[in-house]
Order: sequence, then structure tokens, then C-alpha cells
Amino acid sequence: MDDEHTAWYREACAQCAAVDWGLSDEGRFYCRCCHNVIERTKEVVDTSSAPGSTRVSTIGRGSRTKRPEGGRQWMVCEGFQFILMKQANALVQLGVSPQFKDKVLCQLWRLYLQRSRQAYTHNPVRSSKFKLRSLDSDSDSAAESAVTAFSETDGDANLSSTAGSNAESSSGWSQFSGSVDARNYLGPRMKRNCGLMSMKKTLALIHLALVWSREPLTLSDLLRFATEGHVPYLNAYEELPEEMKLDGKDGFIFRVESIPSHHTLHKEAQTLLLFLQLPAFPPISRQSLLHPALLSLRYLMDANLPDELHPWVCQLLERAGMAEHSLHTFDPVSHPLLPRFDLQSVALIIVTLKVLFGLDDHTEWDLSNVAGDHGDSENMFSLRRWYRLMQAALITAQQRRNQHIARKQWKAKKPLSSSKMHINIVMKQKRTAEQVQACFQKLSSCPVGVQPAEPSSFRFCWGDEDGADGPSLHHQKLDSAVTLSHNVHAASNSTYWHPALRACDPGKCRNHYPEVEASLPRSLVWLLQLFSFMLDVTPACLYEEVLGVERRVFGTKTPNGCGAEETNRTDKKTRRKCSQRC
Amino acid sequence: MSTERPEVSGFRQSTHICLEKIREAMLHHRWHEAAEYMAFYPQILEDRTRTSAATNKELVWRLSTEILHHHPKSKLEDYNNIYERMKHSGVKLYLLVSLEHSFHLMLHGHIVDAKRQLSVAESWRYGKESAAQYQTIKLIQAYRSLLDYIIWCDKKFTHSDLPNFDDNQEMQNYFRQASVNLKEILKNPGVWDPFILSYVEMLEFYEDHEEALKVLNDYAYDNSLPPNPNAHVYLYQYLKRHNAPQRKLMKVLKTLHVLVPSHELMLEYSALLLQSEKKSDSEKVLGMVLEMLDFACWRRNLDVWKCLKAVIEKLQLQDDWRNIVSGKMSERKDWWPALHFTKFHASKDCEDPELMGVKVALVQILCPDLKCTKYTAGEGSKGQ
Repeated sequence: MDDEHTAWYREACAQCAAVDWGLSDEGRFYCRCCHNVIERTKEVVDTSSAPGSTRVSTIGRGSRTKRPEGGRQWMVCEGFQFILMKQANALVQLGVSPQFKDKVLCQLWRLYLQRSRQAYTHNPVRSSKFKLRSLDSDSDSAAESAVTAFSETDGDANLSSTAGSNAESSSGWSQFSGSVDARNYLGPRMKRNCGLMSMKKTLALIHLALVWSREPLTLSDLLRFATEGHVPYLNAYEELPEEMKLDGKDGFIFRVESIPSHHTLHKEAQTLLLFLQLPAFPPISRQSLLHPALLSLRYLMDANLPDELHPWVCQLLERAGMAEHSLHTFDPVSHPLLPRFDLQSVALIIVTLKVLFGLDDHTEWDLSNVAGDHGDSENMFSLRRWYRLMQAALITAQQRRNQHIARKQWKAKKPLSSSKMHINIVMKQKRTAEQVQACFQKLSSCPVGVQPAEPSSFRFCWGDEDGADGPSLHHQKLDSAVTLSHNVHAASNSTYWHPALRACDPGKCRNHYPEVEASLPRSLVWLLQLFSFMLDVTPACLYEEVLGVERRVFGTKTPNGCGAEETNRTDKKTRRKCSQRC
Repeated sequence: MSTERPEVSGFRQSTHICLEKIREAMLHHRWHEAAEYMAFYPQILEDRTRTSAATNKELVWRLSTEILHHHPKSKLEDYNNIYERMKHSGVKLYLLVSLEHSFHLMLHGHIVDAKRQLSVAESWRYGKESAAQYQTIKLIQAYRSLLDYIIWCDKKFTHSDLPNFDDNQEMQNYFRQASVNLKEILKNPGVWDPFILSYVEMLEFYEDHEEALKVLNDYAYDNSLPPNPNAHVYLYQYLKRHNAPQRKLMKVLKTLHVLVPSHELMLEYSALLLQSEKKSDSEKVLGMVLEMLDFACWRRNLDVWKCLKAVIEKLQLQDDWRNIVSGKMSERKDWWPALHFTKFHASKDCEDPELMGVKVALVQILCPDLKCTKYTAGEGSKGQ
């Protein structure tokens, strides 16, 4: 019978999933259960020709769809693994120690795979039968293969499971395009898992790995590198190897619409932390660069503030009880919140400035007048002069950033699309766009694919060389704001104001900054805008952090600022005596 | 306590800011800057939301052409490039962009290329779309014919020294191609002056006078077309060229008079009417000339005043001429002095003594109650 032609073909029928093929009259394969005819035909062999003759000896009609060169099957998490590796390599290039990638990120990734039951588990999320190879030594994460932990199926990729993702192949033969489980990935069952990887999560995972390795690359730095393209994020899937082909469904998983905000990513990292059930992190001591004591030095430099401010920041740190490493280290039991190192440091700086200069729209300008009247005004730090310098630099930097945003190209070179017809339309639109772009590029002689700016931890550049944003004020003295009496340096400004400090119930109210902003002194508002530009966060976020620091310093015995007690709605100016021991 | 930025995708934010920058640059005429930003904007065409796709294409088309118009380094090939791209980017835009493309080529002298564009556009079909855009198609057909006419003119000019002038086959072809559409043009209401003129010129050349006359008559008198004084002017000029009888000429001019009483052809009409014997015609002429002078544009025209003088002289042959004149002037005598006979007018008219003379002669007849003007007291008077 025709079993000899069809018996070897073990592909499941697309309609009924049975494996029972017969041969129709025209020589096509058909399923005996549901009579579904597929494209495959039996091979026709002409045996009448003698060997060695020049006639064509076989006429084979194989499957209609050719196997694309070098394609292979791959899972979605393989793709993410590859992308993570690229991102980690980029960070190592930027100066992060390789330990972060080999010892920390790798382990975190495997832990993630285990927890989300995509690998390293006896109970995988999918129903397919994958054989797990034994784990090799993990120190080698060289580039030749990103799939050391996964095994490919035996033989010729005859998957009997995951019939869903193979259903679209018309010949019943695996198409080798697109990941195998993309459909499952997007389906409701796995979504309920809540552990699914996403592009945002890659950055969150990297952030956790960086914090664990105590690298001084903060979350805002990471986001900035992602925006500028130093760390692959936008269209990162284009760097997947040739053999891992993507199709439309993968687009939903791998495509990004925007760079996540600081706040979103922090929440993502927090969720991931709980999902992974990590133990306590290595402690962030005073010596580590993520500790506010040292991190604030960096922000002081970037903001062109005098180095003499740093001891004051450290004093404030002591006062607020924030010098302990336990406050900055994640611990699932005692400190289950991931700290925001960058925001904390900057908030400390702001509070220090508030202590020294008042920032109530009067004191700071009086002190600036004192500095101006002083004989040695060149070396005296004057807030007015600093403000003028910073404002000019800030405006220029903001305009430059807007320019970059306007010029940023978001669309991938190889767009993904779910259907063949749609991809044609998409490619046509792309060609039109490119042609119009080329025409204007020629006209304006301005290259579109400009190299991103040199990566730098600093937003501004202070000094005397070309391209600097202004003269450096780091060497200036704080004598106008500080008095020396009885060998104790004390702030000239003797009062400190703060709004009502008791924390609102997070369930009941959201951030109050938009309502409060109009009543705050303009100096403080401007300062918040400056630092939130530097960190690329919203001023409201920063304001919350500042309030947090003030709470630590002064306690929360003051009345609530919102809610039912309307009588205490307005700011309550509390007079405190300020003195610092040097 | 948390703050959330509103969910705007980075792509949307980038394109929005880019568009703002382009707009700012264009409004301030900073064309280099506009071209620079325009190089970054076309990614909007790859936006996957279907609702804004058509708007985006139109936006890119119009911005690009506007920048090319003003940018000092733009060349014709840039225009061609952009037009070709945007034409084929979407179904709704194809005809409009083709039309604009051919206008551009026409204005820069590339008549044959322009015609080719329109021919291609004319044969474009796309189901419901081409049916929905039939007005644009009509325009395309009309302009294609006009371009055929222009080429015909060129050929006429270049071949005018050849012996077999009339039988030139090429010219015949173009004439035929052009007349296919031009014949149908009048079925669509509109103002088709240049098209009609070109058609009539070609018809005159081939001595098809019947057709020419029919076309002109239809154009002038068809009620489905908007009233167009030019139609009557063309008809009149044609009739005059072909020595039509006075009766016909006067008929055309009569309709024209109703439409545009201040038309310059009214002078010719008056001349024609003055030749007739009927008394009522003289009255008509008086009324007509006075109506012409109601319009300030004829104030200093010597011919009109002379015509007025002539008609009044003719009227004076009748007995009741004063009644006739005062009857016509009754509705005017309040404001005519201010219109024609003030001190200011006198000071200007002094430069033209002949005009002054005519006006002085007429002022007493037309406005007998008017006293103490430079016109009544004569030259060198001390009238206020």
C-alpha cells in the first residue's frame, strides 16, 4: 500500500493532531482521520536511467517550502538570554567589572529561569519533552553559544508537542522562523505565571545584578545608557544571531515602544526581587561607591558645587541615621525595599543646601550678597553666581536633550510583522521613509545615523577646556555660609523650614507635589528641577525623597500634611537650630 | 506614594517634538534647520496605527515640498524623488500628488514630462478610490489636454516655415488628443477660461468655425455654468474677428452690460448704439455711460467723457433732452459732485487740459445746481 511512502512521516496533522498519513491519487499526503490534504507529495524516482548517464536521474518533489539556511528552533528565553548577554557585554565595555556578568548576572538569570519554571526544573511550564543537559561549569560565558543550558531536540526537530506553534506551517514541516513558544508566551496560561520575561525585566535584572555587585552604576545611569544606545535595548532583537529568526508574534515580546522611566523600572526591579526570593544583598558599607557618602561626591561634582560641601553632607548623613549600611542594603526580612541610591544621595545634597542656605527665597540671596561683598569673592562660593552658571548650562543641556529626542530613530532596520501581506506593506512604508530621509539628508548634509555621544557618568563638564559648560566652582570656599566659632564650624543660617512631614497613607493619597509646588520657594523648585534633569526623574519623585530625608532627621512628630486635618494643610515652618560639628 | 508619567511611547514623543521643531523652523524661515529635522521625521511613515497613516503621508508630502520650495539647494531631481515616493505611498494621495507634480514640471518648463505624468495619472484606476476622486480626475484630464495644446502651439511655432503647414500629422494628433477632453469640459460646472480659449484657438486654426461658435455660445449661455463675464467677452471677440453682423455683436454686449456695467467693452457698445437711429438707443447710451462713470476707475478716462459729451450732443437734437438728462441724473446728483467735481479732482485734472475742457463743458448740463467749483467758474477761478 502507500504506507511505505508515508510511514516514515511522523509529523502531526495540523487539524486533528493525529499521525496517520495516506497517499492520495495525485500523490499528495492526506490525513486518514480528517482527510486534510497537505502540500507534501511522495518522491518520484525515475529508475529507468542507467547510472552515469547525463539525464536527470531523480525527479524529487520535496516539500514546497524550503528550509531557510541555517535556521533553527529557539525558545523565547533563549532570545532574552542572548540580549542580556549583549547588554552585560556592553556594560563591561563601559567599565563595569566582569565579575558582575560572570558571577552575578549569570546566576541571577538561572535563578530566574528556575523560579519561572522555564528551565532547571523537573516541572517545566511547557508540555514538551526537553532533555536537560547537565550543567556545565558556569565560568565560561563566551560568545560562541548562548544556549549551553538548553538542549535542542534530537534528530530532525520532529516536535510532537507545541503543535500550536507549528500549526501555521502549511506543509506540516517546521518553518524555522520565529520562536517556538512565542504563542504560549503571550497566551493567558503563562501570563498568569507573572514571571514572564520582558524587555523591561532585562534592565531590571541587570540593575539587581549591579546592586549586588555594588557597582556604582545607578539606575538612572543605566537608563541613560539605554536611551543613548550604549546598552542595547531599543531593537535589541536585531542582534540575535542569524539562525534565530523572528516573526510577528515575537515582535510583541521583543519590541519596545519607549525607554521605561526611573520609577517604572524601580518598581519592576522590586517585583523581580520578590519573585526571585533573593537573600540579603552584600552590605553597602561606607566604603562602597553606592553608599550615599561617596555617591553624593559624584553628584556634587556634576552639579559644580564646592567640594567643601561634602563634609556637611556626611554630617547630615550621621544626623539622619543613614550612615548604617543596613539602610542601604536589601534584606528580605529587615529591609524589604530596594533603595534608590541615586535619589537618596541627591536628596541629601538638597537638604544640605537647605540647611546651609535656607532656600526660602531670601536667606540664600542675603548670603550671596555677603559673599559678593567679601574681599576674596573669587574664591567665595556665592549661590547667586552658581545659580546663574547652572541655569545657563541647564537650559543648554535641556535643549540639547530635546534635540536628541527629536532626532532619535525608533524603527528597526528589520521590522517584524505577523503576516506575509503585512510585512510587504511595512517594508514598502520603510522604503518610502528611507527615500524621503535620504533626500533630506543629502539636502542638509546631516547624517542621520550619528554616533551617540561619548558615554559619560556626568551630565555636565566644568573647567576651562573647550566644550565645558562653564568654569569650575569646586575649589571655592563656603565661608559666606559658614562661621567658625569656638573651633566649631556652624552654618550662618540659623533657621530651617520644612513642610509637614508625616507620611501620607500610600493607599489613600498619591504624591502631593503638583499641589504643593506653587507654594514652595522658587529656589527649592528650581533645585528640584535641576537635579531631576540630571537624574532624569520627575521633580515629584525627588521631592518625596527629600521629604523622606527630612523625616529621618527631624522625626515625624509634626502633624499630617493632608487628609482630614485641613487646618494644618499649609506648610508649618519649624524653627530648628542648625549647627554642625566639624 | 508614587508619581507616574503619562503613558506616551518614546516614538510618539520623538516624532511630536521633531514636528514641533520643523514647524518652528519653517515659521521662522530657517530652512536649513527645517531640512535637517525633516531628515529625521520620515520615521512617522512607519507608524503602525492605521488611523493616522493617511494624515502622516499628507503631512510628509506637504512639509517636504514646502521645504524644497524655499531651500536654496533644492533641485528638480529632489522634487521628482519626493513626488514619486509620496505618490506611490498611498492610494488617496496618488492623484493629488500627480497633479501637483505635473504643475511643478509645467511651471519649470518641462511640458512633455508634465504631460507624461498626467497621462499616467489619467489611466490610473483603483476601484472605489478612483470613483470617489472623480473631480481630481476631471482636473487631470483638463490639464492634460491643456498640455497637449501647449505642445501643439510649440509645434505650430517650429513648423510654421514648413510647406505642408496645415497637414502636419503630429499637430493633428495633439489636436485630437486635446479635443477629446476639451469637448467634454463644459459638462462640469466651473470657470474654464484658459481651456476654452485654447480649444477655440485650435478650432479656428483648423477652420472649424461651427464648433468654435458652439463652444463659445455654450460657455456663455449655459445656465449650469456659473455666470462668467469673460465668456461673453471671448464670444464677442470671436464674433468681431469673424465679422459678424452688428446685431449679433450688440446682443452679446447687452448681456455683458447686465453682468459688468463698468466693462471697457461698454465703450464699444456705446459706439455701436450711437450709430443707430432710434431715439431710445441714445437714452440707453446715456444711461450706460453714466453707469460706467459711477465707477471710480473710469474717472480720469478721456474716452468715456468724450463719449458722454457725444451722446449728450446727440440728445440735444431732441426736444426733451433736458428731461432725459435730469431723469438719468436724478439718482446721482447727490453724490456725483463728490465723485467727479471736487477741488481735488480739479487739481489733478488740470494736468490734462483736454479732459478738463470736456468736464467743464458737461458739468453744467449734468449738475446744473452745482456752483462754485473750479469746473463751473472755469480756470483760474477763486471757487472754494
